[in-house]
Amino acid sequence: MQLSARALRLALVLAGLAAFGSAGIPPAGADALPDEPMVSSLFRFFTDSKHVAVRSLMGDYATVVKGTTAFTVHVNNEHVTIPAISAPAGTQEAVDAITTASRPISGNAYQDYVKVRNEFQGGVSSRGRSLDYYLSHETDYLGQQLSGHYDRDLHDALLNLSFGTSYGWDAIKPLQDSDTNTGNASKRTMHWNVVATQVLRPTTVLRAGLEYNIVHGLQHNPYRNVYAGGTNVPERHPDERQRRDLFLKLNQYLSNRSSLKFNYRLYNDDWGVTSHELGADLSQYITHGVIVRYGYRYYTQTSADFYRPEYLTTDGIDGYRTGDYRLGPLSSHLFGGTLSVDLAQLAAEHNLWRRFGMSVNYERYFNNNNYSANIVETALDFRF
Amino acid sequence: MTRPRNGMHRPTARLATACALLALLALASGCSSAVRAYQREKLTDRIMSFSADAKLDARRMKTFESREGSTGGTGGTGGGCACN
Repeated sequence: MQLSARALRLALVLAGLAAFGSAGIPPAGADALPDEPMVSSLFRFFTDSKHVAVRSLMGDYATVVKGTTAFTVHVNNEHVTIPAISAPAGTQEAVDAITTASRPISGNAYQDYVKVRNEFQGGVSSRGRSLDYYLSHETDYLGQQLSGHYDRDLHDALLNLSFGTSYGWDAIKPLQDSDTNTGNASKRTMHWNVVATQVLRPTTVLRAGLEYNIVHGLQHNPYRNVYAGGTNVPERHPDERQRRDLFLKLNQYLSNRSSLKFNYRLYNDDWGVTSHELGADLSQYITHGVIVRYGYRYYTQTSADFYRPEYLTTDGIDGYRTGDYRLGPLSSHLFGGTLSVDLAQLAAEHNLWRRFGMSVNYERYFNNNNYSANIVETALDFRF
Repeated sequence: MTRPRNGMHRPTARLATACALLALLALASGCSSAVRAYQREKLTDRIMSFSADAKLDARRMKTFESREGSTGGTGGTGGGCACN
């Protein structure tokens, strides 16, 4: 019975993907194709209060063929430096930043550990349809995903409806060290979404979306131990999780060449986590081609049913136990600002400079677990 | 071993579903606006675009997913990596 349900879900994803290959669909207006080939690079540096640092170097290329078909390629190389542990392996003090995974204890655990992640994404889109392939590689993790999307304009292009689906399959091969609790494992993720975008007024546009995910497979940290019943035992999460969310976004143009963007998201899953997210962004033209953006986000969530700060027995709750603070009660804030310069407008008469765009972004994140992070990004675009 | 039961209370779940359906129906009806093509100049401005923020939103989502217990809000899902 379970196999049939899985087969049905997979068939739905595949049917959705196959639909993108069909012809005769009118153009949609939600996401415009790039006018000309473009190369973008982005440098991102993340550092947090646990002294974890993540350096990301990203590159993007986009080109259009015959005015209707766009090809995109995205690559990303990431170095995650996890500081030497000063606490027992598997405890929260040994937490990794970008992965929230405790580091494997190999060699000298009291030295920094560097993890490399390489990411590739390639996609093609045409007339409101798109197909993408994603690959992420780490020494102990290989993630792949195939996704498709279809959107269509309705009501004189005042309304755009979009449908998306994806299937992800991840291979997890934990490094065999003294704190490894799990053998080779896998994880599969199926996703569906429907998004509607409606022009309300000449200065107002609203977007609403529903998303649904089913995750099956290994979802706990193979390196993490949990203090339960007076001893350290391996973390254990359920192997299936159903996640759904509803989001609303409202963009309002203001009279002084600025805009306000609001967003709200309600999330719930069958592990018992319910969350609310509220955000606002103000974008303002400083001059022609120069935009400054300020943003704020507030987030709060309840804990998973099986989350406890401390477990009285090694069985945990219904056999599950977690040391992942992401499954506990949590609230967080994010402040940020971006300065974007588009030289196509600022230096329109200059043959070379007008092909460049650049931006600098800074964000500060903190939550009620005494955790904080600083994120800096610099980006450079070049149009051929 | 049994899996934990659904954590959203039924009234909350029903309210969320009702809100979502109402919002989508209101949007799908298209009855709330009659904005002509020549009146949409401001909507095409970069500072009003949803897609202009898509890459930043995707990177933010990765950061949030590695720090918080939820996902979503972008109309798609990020690919798998050890961060999740």
